Amino acid sequence: MSFEQIIVSGNGDSLEEQELSLLETLDHVLNRGLVIAGEITIAVADIDLIFLGLNVMLSSVETAQQVLRERQKKSE
Amino acid sequence: MAFSPEPPHPAEPEIETAHPEEFVEQLRLVADSLPSRINIDAQGVEQGLAKLVLTLIEFIRRLLEKQAVRRMEGGDLSPEQIEELGLALMRLEAKLQELKTQFGLADEDLNLDLGPIGRLI
Amino acid sequence: MKLYVYCLVDNTQTLPESLHGILGVLVRRLEIGDFSFLVSDFSDRTVPVTRENALAHAAVIQSVLKETTPLPFRFGTLVNGQQLENYVSARSEALRSKLEQVRGCVEMNVKIISDRDWMEEPQASETQAKPGTAFLSEKRREILGGEARAARAKQVAEWLKDQVAPVAKQTQIETLPTGKMLVTAAHLIEYERVEEFRKRVTEARHQRVDLHFLLSGPWAPYSFAHMDLEFETHFGVS
Repeated sequence: MSFEQIIVSGNGDSLEEQELSLLETLDHVLNRGLVIAGEITIAVADIDLIFLGLNVMLSSVETAQQVLRERQKKSE
Repeated sequence: MAFSPEPPHPAEPEIETAHPEEFVEQLRLVADSLPSRINIDAQGVEQGLAKLVLTLIEFIRRLLEKQAVRRMEGGDLSPEQIEELGLALMRLEAKLQELKTQFGLADEDLNLDLGPIGRLI
Repeated sequence: MKLYVYCLVDNTQTLPESLHGILGVLVRRLEIGDFSFLVSDFSDRTVPVTRENALAHAAVIQSVLKETTPLPFRFGTLVNGQQLENYVSARSEALRSKLEQVRGCVEMNVKIISDRDWMEEPQASETQAKPGTAFLSEKRREILGGEARAARAKQVAEWLKDQVAPVAKQTQIETLPTGKMLVTAAHLIEYERVEEFRKRVTEARHQRVDLHFLLSGPWAPYSFAHMDLEFETHFGVS
């Protein structure tokens, strides 16, 4: 049984090879690396956002319910 | 702090696989589920809120489903109870789908990045 | 004026000249304590996550990797000088130790996909059942399938770890909860042993023809550039 291997470099020809290369690169630069607290990027920002979001959500539950009710009325 | 010299370093990263299409497909899923990092401000407040609320509901919904299946497996539910539970969960799933559509959210949009602990869903 | 931070190296290291990074801005060296940061000056408040910007970030780091092994920062790290100084003073020892760990090394990644269907076949009785019950039966099959998948992913992760142990200085393996991809692994490999590592993975692939592999690298040690201290900082909440 022959073992086919496709080697893809950053300058790969096909669109697919380029996309694979891009996806792998994105996986590295977006998900990993050193993080500084206070930066405007995912880990810290989104944790803050979630807490913020939760606060906003908790104090705005009624508003949210109203919004959902209004949307429901509109779609009926 | 003297270090001995390092050996010369490599070229561009290479990717080696016999199944590029499959990996593109799978890696796209991961990329799509990344919360839109810096574009958080660009999202409408309403949609951001909906996303948060629906994500939490989805999370709970999945827990409920798992629990229901465990109880079913455990054999301590009557057939009528199983049916009732199943119908309720069906309705919850359908309702959530409806809400997602109303807010223009796709399945991949419902997630929360909790930093070091990873994603909620 | 903010600083976009790409990576960190030891002060004694030489770096490539005239590098250009995000949006073509010049990359310069900023020394703080015993460390040198590669930064670009930035006036905007945010850095959009675009293909170009991500590739520009990676390209800067890849250029540095040709000279020495840097500790990469995550994409989108925009800070002011004071924040950077605070960052260094809070964790000099940890950074020094991290740099030492990754010295002369690169990161190689292995990702593994399994095509297999993990769900059992539905039983005849399921189709005849009432709707709510049928719904739960289907969920049951999904959940059990998920558990079977998780068990296999764990097994594959252990196996991979064993295969590369002799050449990997450090290994981080994650099993993924859903999808065809079971396992994603990051290995810290001394640069001279990269070929040996590739050979090992190729041999391992032959052993497991039921699995599909992707091998990528060499990368800078993105996956190993994390400070355990940071987890505490995150939840300390400032």
